[in-house]
Amino acid sequence: MASHGIARSAGSGVRSEAARRIELQQIETYKDLVGLVNTKVAERQYTVEVLALTTKLLTENPEYYTIWNHRRRILQKLLSDTAPDEPKFTSDQFIEQLITDDLQLTYKLLRGFPKCYWIWNHRNWILRNGEALLDAPTSRKLWLGELQLVSKMLQADNRNFHAWGYRRFVVAELQRLTQADEVPPEGPSLTESEFEYTTKMVNTNLSNFSAWHNRSKLIPRLLDERKADDTARRKLFDDELSLVCSAINTDPFDQSIWYYHQFLMSTLSPDCPRQSQIVLSHSNQDRGSYYEHEMEYIRDILEDETDCKWIYEALLTIACSYLEVSVGTNPFTTSDMHDWLEALQRLDPLRKGRWDDWRRSLNL
Amino acid sequence: MSLVSGPGRGGVAAGLPQELSLYMDKHVSYIQSLDRRKDEREYWLTEHLRLSGLYWGLTALHLLGHPDALPRSQVIEFVLSCLHENGGFGAAPGHDSHMLYTVSGVQILATLDAFDELEARVQGGRLKIGQLVDIAGLQDAETGTFAGDEWGERDTRFLYGAFNALSLLGLLHLINVDKAVGHIQSCANFDGGYGTSPGAESHSGQVFTCLAALTIAGRLDLVDQDKLGAWLSERQLKNGGLNGRPEKKEDVCYSWWVFSSLAMLNKQHWIDGDKLANFILQCQDPQMGGFSDRPGDMVDVFHTCFGLAGLSLLKFPGLIEVDAVYCMPRAVTKRCLSK
Repeated sequence: MASHGIARSAGSGVRSEAARRIELQQIETYKDLVGLVNTKVAERQYTVEVLALTTKLLTENPEYYTIWNHRRRILQKLLSDTAPDEPKFTSDQFIEQLITDDLQLTYKLLRGFPKCYWIWNHRNWILRNGEALLDAPTSRKLWLGELQLVSKMLQADNRNFHAWGYRRFVVAELQRLTQADEVPPEGPSLTESEFEYTTKMVNTNLSNFSAWHNRSKLIPRLLDERKADDTARRKLFDDELSLVCSAINTDPFDQSIWYYHQFLMSTLSPDCPRQSQIVLSHSNQDRGSYYEHEMEYIRDILEDETDCKWIYEALLTIACSYLEVSVGTNPFTTSDMHDWLEALQRLDPLRKGRWDDWRRSLNL
Repeated sequence: MSLVSGPGRGGVAAGLPQELSLYMDKHVSYIQSLDRRKDEREYWLTEHLRLSGLYWGLTALHLLGHPDALPRSQVIEFVLSCLHENGGFGAAPGHDSHMLYTVSGVQILATLDAFDELEARVQGGRLKIGQLVDIAGLQDAETGTFAGDEWGERDTRFLYGAFNALSLLGLLHLINVDKAVGHIQSCANFDGGYGTSPGAESHSGQVFTCLAALTIAGRLDLVDQDKLGAWLSERQLKNGGLNGRPEKKEDVCYSWWVFSSLAMLNKQHWIDGDKLANFILQCQDPQMGGFSDRPGDMVDVFHTCFGLAGLSLLKFPGLIEVDAVYCMPRAVTKRCLSK
């Protein structure tokens, strides 16, 4: 869309006359190619040759969305031709070849332009359209291949939100295909393997919030799929809490981890929507004891880390939740809350207005 | 009249200015120069952004108080040359119509108060833009969200685009607003933020689109305002700049997406405005004008627009007031929305 992260010095200075001439030549060649593609498409020459011209142009400029549209116009025609003029192929082979060619092209381009919306979108289009033309095992094989592609993209940049979004889309497609099949799939469900994938990702890098986020969306589905009973749900919740608590202990300054902790705490709330719940049957007594336990754990960390504002924010947030369910004797005093807010104001002056508002709303 | 959207050439690798001031005149001439770079490859490689580039440039000039720095009639001429029979705008003549450029086209015409010229040139032009394929026809009847064009990519960016353009045209009744609002709600996450689609991670750009659409629909009551405000305030980093998601780098364009979102929630004071202004000012090219994503990087018209819009929202002296929902001069949106 625009230039990101290119040093200003990289483009500085005046071009030499020779450089200017070369650039003008490049512009002419580029404009000729654009003109050629547009003319051929306007003449409805939807052929393999014109398809190759769009490949050339898109390789030079994958952001040129109209050329992607032209490519799809050509592909629609070629895919609907039952008798291709390529004698070496049967019709089915021809279709599969067209689809795999586009998958290869978009893969190559994504490696250079991993954040280009149009490339991701085209990949999605070719697979959706291919599905209608290919037999079920072939299209399933192609969709499965997409998971590998996304894993490669996420290896290169584990926060790429295009890749994460595409990953969720592919999983949903595969699950749809599975449901359509009469035969139940072998091996663990995709929700299980996706959950495992997020475990792998957060173990590699605790600050990968994209992985934590996906985990927060997968867990409720996973438990429903497993038809987990109350004990199993509580076990998983406890496991998640201890996973994130040990992560907090490792790096209490990493906000990704704290957000996941907030997610787990938010599932305790009586207002938590069903589709986000982990344990379905929390009593206020339960909630109170979880809040107490978390506060105790976080206060222990405080002994070694007095300058981490996330600790004070968590303590204060949990204290507020505790007051809402109000069971038993508070494990904290108003004076504690006052001290935590003081600490936030001292340690995090950037957000002073927020702490002031909080103080007012809590009457501290 | 069209402006190149790619990175600028000629910026010198100079040290930062000692005193941070706003180089208003430099920015005006930088934007004016963008139409004169046809001998650069970048000019041609960014043709697919042209109409949005013009919106970014024109908005920046209006905020700088130089609304006439680009010739009005030539701008209108170019915008109308991008209008398709189906009522949508392409990025440039010969480029297919798409929601992104339709919104830019409408925003430019609104800013120039040129809806009458549109009607004079294209009979029933306003209704045509609203009614035909490009806006109202792109709503998904089942989910309420919007596609960008006939090829079907769906994203909350396009939903906001439809709300933005149709409300400026006074044609919001053409779409199912309640259904779209329901879709936005289904994109909400536990952290109070919103993603591109249900299940997607919260992202400041998407938070802006969802919040702005809800503001237009008058449904901010559906937002978990304290949670979202907290999440947005945590986008500010020590150097004053804002990032788009947890643990990411700062970038001038988020000065807009994040700070305008805070403004819609009336929580501008939840971050340090002086530090943000300082960060934005550091991203100027003091010699050639324009803003970059981070200090010392190449400038472009996209970051120039959102840097200035951020400063305007921070009430930086000398700038015209911006509308947090539309990223257009407030006087323009007042005029359009009161009709």
